[in-house]
Amino acid sequence: MKMNMPITNNEVLMKPGAILVTRTDLKGVIAFANDAFVEISGYSRAELIGSPHNIVRHPDMPSAVYEQMWDTIKKGNPWHGVVKNRTKAGGFYWVSANAMPLLENGSVIGYISVRHASSRTDISEAEQFYRKVATNEAALHSTGAAAFFKKIKEISLDKKLAFASTLLAAPNVFLMSEFLNTADYGLLSVTVTLTVLGGLMVFKISHNTSELVNLSINELRKVSQNKFGVPPNLRRDDQFGDLFRTIYGTGIKLGSDVGRLNQDTADALRIISGLENVQSSVLITNVNLDIIFVNQSARTLFSRVEADFKKHLPNFRADTLLGTNIDVFHTNPEYQRQLLGKLSDSTMYELELAGHAFQIIAKPVISADGSRIGYIAEWMDRTQENKIEREIENLVNSIKVGDLRARIHLEGKEGFNKSLSININGLTDVIESVFMDINAIMQKMADGDLTGNIHTDYQGAYAQCKDNINNTITKINQFIEQIREAAEFVNNASQEIASGNNNLSHRVEQQAASLEEAAASMEELASTVKCNATDMQQALNVVKSTAQLAEKGGDVVKSAIVAMREINESSNRIAEIIGVIDEIAFQTNLLALNASVEAARAGEQGRGFSVVATEVRKLAQRSASAAAQSSEMIQNSVQKVHAGTTFVNETGTALMEIVGYIIKVGDLVGHITESSNEQSAGIGQVNQAVAQLDEITQQNAALAEEAAANSMAMSEQSAKMTQLISFFKLSNKSSSLAVRQHDSTSKKAVVVKPKSAAVVQSSPSYNSDWEEF
Amino acid sequence: MTTDYIAANSKQIEQFLTFELANEVYGVEILKVQEIRGWEAVRVIPNAPSFIKGVLNLRGSVIPIVDLRERFSLEHCDYTQKTVVIVLCVKRSHAETFVMGIVADAVSDVLDIKCSEIKKAPNFGAQLDTRYMRGMHVYKQNMIMLLDVDKLLNPDELDDIETISDSVSVDYDELL
Repeated sequence: MKMNMPITNNEVLMKPGAILVTRTDLKGVIAFANDAFVEISGYSRAELIGSPHNIVRHPDMPSAVYEQMWDTIKKGNPWHGVVKNRTKAGGFYWVSANAMPLLENGSVIGYISVRHASSRTDISEAEQFYRKVATNEAALHSTGAAAFFKKIKEISLDKKLAFASTLLAAPNVFLMSEFLNTADYGLLSVTVTLTVLGGLMVFKISHNTSELVNLSINELRKVSQNKFGVPPNLRRDDQFGDLFRTIYGTGIKLGSDVGRLNQDTADALRIISGLENVQSSVLITNVNLDIIFVNQSARTLFSRVEADFKKHLPNFRADTLLGTNIDVFHTNPEYQRQLLGKLSDSTMYELELAGHAFQIIAKPVISADGSRIGYIAEWMDRTQENKIEREIENLVNSIKVGDLRARIHLEGKEGFNKSLSININGLTDVIESVFMDINAIMQKMADGDLTGNIHTDYQGAYAQCKDNINNTITKINQFIEQIREAAEFVNNASQEIASGNNNLSHRVEQQAASLEEAAASMEELASTVKCNATDMQQALNVVKSTAQLAEKGGDVVKSAIVAMREINESSNRIAEIIGVIDEIAFQTNLLALNASVEAARAGEQGRGFSVVATEVRKLAQRSASAAAQSSEMIQNSVQKVHAGTTFVNETGTALMEIVGYIIKVGDLVGHITESSNEQSAGIGQVNQAVAQLDEITQQNAALAEEAAANSMAMSEQSAKMTQLISFFKLSNKSSSLAVRQHDSTSKKAVVVKPKSAAVVQSSPSYNSDWEEF
Repeated sequence: MTTDYIAANSKQIEQFLTFELANEVYGVEILKVQEIRGWEAVRVIPNAPSFIKGVLNLRGSVIPIVDLRERFSLEHCDYTQKTVVIVLCVKRSHAETFVMGIVADAVSDVLDIKCSEIKKAPNFGAQLDTRYMRGMHVYKQNMIMLLDVDKLLNPDELDDIETISDSVSVDYDELL
């Protein structure tokens, strides 16, 4: 007995609903194993196919079980049992196994075994039972009484019926003998008739039953061989009718399954033949990575590279690829397995092997229940493509680093690759030509030669580039001409600026001196303003005292007015007195006149009196004239006093006004004092500003000097620039102009020369020109 | 007669009272002057000629007062304290005299004038009545017009004045 060792305690559980199917030939060698079986067994399909079926036997299984199985199936009967199998790794799995012979045209051509997952109760019962069998406590075949009863139990149905009928007929025979003895012939005949009838019915029933059972067996055998027909007795109402109808239903169901199976097979065939003929190289493996399909393209591919592969993979054979594991492709199969194990979706990876480059697109095949049932891989030989890619990459890299002479070699290239290479070489030619042209023109430009142009015909961007370069050269020609003119202008201008800056410098110095004077003046002004402020303060005091004096003056004027009034009164009184005197004089005069009149009238007697009267009258007249004079004087005096009073009044008013004005003057003087103080502060700020201004002016002076120096330098530089620009050789049309301009420039330079010492010394020839000039 | 008087008394000295009227000096014979008084308010006579200012009570006799300015058609002037009234004794006829006052701006002097020094008043023809002029005397460059008191007033005027003075005097006496 084959003992597969070692064993471990690892139980592998079957997936629920999984069916393990194997087919063996008559000798028990495996001819087919389905994927589920291959997967759970742990062996590869290649290992399983061609091996005896006991490769999966577990040592715990009693050999008697297998003997019984073989006995049963060799008799043509199906066998069932709960079986413990061993995996390749030593683990075990329990199955509910069904084995039966495979019939074809009535003869056995092999055996098939179909296994389902077994329930835990069945497994534990079987485990106990097998342990007992192993210790001979139990036997598979019944022995002794058990065997006898089993035999009786298994006697065929008609025999059992015959026996039972005989047993039932025995009392009737006894009754018949009794009735015979008692000559009860009536009863006897009835009994005999009934017994005979019963016997006939039993016989008929047993015969029919046996016949129908045999018919059923035949029909079922037909069904098991996929021969589907309409069984007889379908319309019977009894249990046999049900039996036949059930057989018929089962047949129809099986027929439909077979039909669907055939359909699936045809579909699969179509797909396979399609895959066989696609241009891609396709490999399909099962879940253990055994190759189960290789299409024509792949066979061609692998046979082409077989010789190269063998150098690295000695086991590789292209003609026996089918059925081998894809490990043959890999030097490190475990890594590959891990990689594929993780694979969940279509993945592309590159494989470099024996100088060949492959691009492999691998994809797991997922069954309807979500489990992984294999892989499909599409191989593409990218060796040529990679080679041309590398060549193009090298070329591009060369072009990148500026090596434009590199080209792709055309030897050994065909078709697309060749035309691609030619085109890329053409492209490189164009680029090289463009750069050579540009390089040449730039070289010339670097040497100051602006006469060149690009003449090669280009298209598109190159043509634009060429045109732009040509335009650039033309423009540069123009620019340099203009720059030459500008330089000349700058030269003249810079000299003017230099002299201007000198002037500026002088002026700024003068300004600085003026500012210092201004600062001194400002300081004087400040001190003056301070004096002013002090004087103003004094003036304010004076104004105050003036105001007081004016007020006093007002008082004096008031007293004067009073005095004047008194004088006036006195004058008036005097005038009155004088009036009285005058009146007295008048009266006296009148009296004297009257006296004269009387004297005259008296004649000679009145002569003396007349003289007296005349004297009196003279006195009176003198008094009158004196009074008149006094009156006049008094009137005068009164008038003068009046005038004086008026003047004094006016003086008083004027004094009051003066007081008001003096107060105003005081305010104004106060304001002036404040203003003077502010002015003083302002002058201080102005002084500060002037100081800053002075500082700035001095900086300005320094700057102006610098500017003068710089403008000198600038004029030197512009002369140099003119020289430098003469370095450029311009194209035909402008070069003559340039020469002409050069002459004129030199002459102008000479003309300018006397203005400034900063001008570059002209050459002797120019000096001679100067003399001519 | 006057001419005779002058001629007869050409060596004689006559005294004249001079007075001022509108800044001109006039003179009257001193013997015709009764009295010289200061101006005092007069009793106005209604319906009297304008040159008669009124009447004055002179120690019981009513005398008419004549304003010579008015009489001589001179510029009118207000009366002052200097204004004087010269009471003249006017001879109406040989036997009759009457007293009247003339208003003068002022009395000036009593002059002793020789009759020979009295110039005859010029004749202005019929146009101008110069009967009241006795003559002209030059004294200290001033021309003094010497008046003939008796001819100062027309006879009609004299009548009027006389009437006034009589009636007034009667009334005045009755009143006394």
